[in-house]
Amino acid sequence: MTLTIELNQVTLKRDDQTVLSDLNLTLSERRIGLIGNNGSGKSSLVRLFNGLLQPSQGHLQVRGHNPAEGPEAMADQVGFIFQNPDHQLIFPTVIEELMFGLRNQGLSKSDARERAEHCLREHHRLDWADRPVHSLSEGQKQWVCIMAVLVMNPAVLILDEPFSALDLPTRQFLTDWLLGLPQQLIMISHDLDVLAAFDRVLWLEQGQVRGDGSPETVIADYRAACNRAFSL
Amino acid sequence: MMTLYVHRQSWLHRQPAGLKLLVLMVTSVALYALASLWTAGAVLIAVILAYRSLGPAGWSYLWVVKPLLPMFILIFVVQSWSQSVSAAILMLLRMLTLIWLANLVTLTTRMDAMMDAVMPLLSPLRRVGVAPHRIAFTVALFVRFVPVLMAVLNSLLEAWKSRGGGRAVWRLAIPMLINAIRMSDHVVQALAARGGVRSPETPVSMVQHQ
Repeated sequence: MTLTIELNQVTLKRDDQTVLSDLNLTLSERRIGLIGNNGSGKSSLVRLFNGLLQPSQGHLQVRGHNPAEGPEAMADQVGFIFQNPDHQLIFPTVIEELMFGLRNQGLSKSDARERAEHCLREHHRLDWADRPVHSLSEGQKQWVCIMAVLVMNPAVLILDEPFSALDLPTRQFLTDWLLGLPQQLIMISHDLDVLAAFDRVLWLEQGQVRGDGSPETVIADYRAACNRAFSL
Repeated sequence: MMTLYVHRQSWLHRQPAGLKLLVLMVTSVALYALASLWTAGAVLIAVILAYRSLGPAGWSYLWVVKPLLPMFILIFVVQSWSQSVSAAILMLLRMLTLIWLANLVTLTTRMDAMMDAVMPLLSPLRRVGVAPHRIAFTVALFVRFVPVLMAVLNSLLEAWKSRGGGRAVWRLAIPMLINAIRMSDHVVQALAARGGVRSPETPVSMVQHQ
């Protein structure tokens, strides 16, 4: 079993439009950032990794698994954090939210509760257990979303613009926390500063890789291209 | 909007959900057999005192009946006219007791505990092909999304007002609906990404692959 994500001539079409074309990538770094303009294919690419989308052509492997098994089967391998916490918090209270994925993994109710409480205790947030999720701030909600995924112990954590609604201190706090996690991290972000500490950054444009390398060089190239495009 | 759950712990939180639902059921039936105004009044006072026991802010939850007040007045007037004033008072006492008691159960019972208590009652549905855990899941989802949809409506209203929208607020119904449908799309993805809705016995998913 390989501990990487591999894409082999992957093409994705949606409604006859080519969203991703002929991608060949090996993603083995611990922390990978994904940048690019809106509509460049970032969100579609990461949705291939857990089977929310299936490639039209080509093959991909995620840690030795084929995402064609579907998102439910991939949930044990890949944790996915969406942009808006309100779209992914499914249960009324924090503890139920954390227990949901564990129950799906086949744990009994009491085991799931124990693991969920353990996770909250580890993060010094055991007092949140019975809180209604709607009473939390946006940052706290996003944190609960990430904990609810982490408690399932996935190998890969994918974040699709997780901080776009958060203020600067919360962003900073969550980024530092995420960087300390043992999971492989793949993060889409428009906040380029957040990605400075990452190992590798991919820049997508029109469904193809336009830049790939260290954060300094790729982000600098991207900024330069953005400035050129708007200096008419 | 009524608050559906108080997260502060009280002695009522610690009672088993099944017991609370049973007390609610027995009280509902017994109230109808009750003809004495004094006894009905005493039961109502007991319920009000139970709210007080939730803590200093306990009484504020009694305001849940506020939107129902006009209806109460109407029923009271019609009853007094068609029957008698004492019959009308008795009716009012019963209704208040039941609403407040039911609300008290919701306020102090966590969703999963409630569903565990109700699930055995739903199990006959299995015969017509409806899995009880899906119903439990739907109820939890509903409770969760009431405040979310209220927030969506609020932001639509703000956008409407801030651009000088008039009184024809009903026209927000369509954008509200579109928002709700789009949101449900996101929720489906989030659900699938965490393993879908699986039953403890049969790990079959509800979410279709795209």
